[in-house]
Amino acid sequence: MGIQDIIEGKKQWRAHLARVKALPPDYQIVYQEMQRYLFKVGPIDLVEGNLLSGIVDFFEEGAASGRGVLEVTGTDVAAFCDDLIKDSRTYAEIYQESAGR
Amino acid sequence: MEDLTEMLKGTLEGCVLEIIGREETYGYAITRRLNDLGFADVVDGTVYTILLRLERNGLVQVTKRPSEVGPPRKFYALNDAGRAELATFWTKWQYVSSRIDTLKEGGA
Amino acid sequence: MKFWETITGNDLTREWKVFEARAQALPADYQAAWGQIVSHLFPYGSFTGRNLTPIADAALGLLEEASADGQSVHDVLGDDIAGFSAALAGGAGARTYRDRWREQLNRNVARKLARLGD
Repeated sequence: MGIQDIIEGKKQWRAHLARVKALPPDYQIVYQEMQRYLFKVGPIDLVEGNLLSGIVDFFEEGAASGRGVLEVTGTDVAAFCDDLIKDSRTYAEIYQESAGR
Repeated sequence: MEDLTEMLKGTLEGCVLEIIGREETYGYAITRRLNDLGFADVVDGTVYTILLRLERNGLVQVTKRPSEVGPPRKFYALNDAGRAELATFWTKWQYVSSRIDTLKEGGA
Repeated sequence: MKFWETITGNDLTREWKVFEARAQALPADYQAAWGQIVSHLFPYGSFTGRNLTPIADAALGLLEEASADGQSVHDVLGDDIAGFSAALAGGAGARTYRDRWREQLNRNVARKLARLGD
């Protein structure tokens, strides 16, 4: 899991995890599953943008308003993830393009 | 009405631009506005991904403001590029809806 | 043609031999597009090529009809052959890894949130 290695060990990553841990349990569950999915799909936003911290911002707002996590994301969490990375190319795509050349 | 997701794709972004264009506002308020309008299936997540795209494409001005509950909220207002995009959206919408009406009325 | 070997191993199935013969009857630009469609479809198929057969058949049929009508291949497929292939494969119910991950994600969320409620 190369991406995680790069991020991990950095202070930023630890601070990020602390914010995740401060979320209500239902938000934590959905965050963890989303992160797992996003690491597999591998959008370049994951390292070049602030995709994950943006999700935590969004979740903090939702939690503060007292709503459940699925009210905020919708029940199709995968569709929410795909929407988030719609404009971001994935490492798999970049690989395929270079291999196809 | 429900089950509009597929049909709304591509037009929701324009709706969000319109709402932001009326006055500076934040994500949850935009969702509520769309729900009240009758788009019951729209959730915050949908609006969040749209706002993210608008921000990335430089169409909005974002300001963080403190909130009575929880963390600071991101407020969104249109900038010049956003207003131009909104005008384009309504032009396109006008075109598409007039063509579809023509089709429905059995015209050319 | 290298991608034929990739798809089928060296063991060309009868259907695929028929497809190849049909493809060779097409104009050159259509043949090139067909080659691209097949290479884009491949990731969606199983390694036996089994799932691919009906999809490829449908795509080839479309190309045959369109070329008989005298349309240019660009008119038929546009610029995004990858997207066209993905849509074809999806329409025929072929599943990609990403689809599996998607289902996994939603299943895990549902299961873990339900457990939380206990």
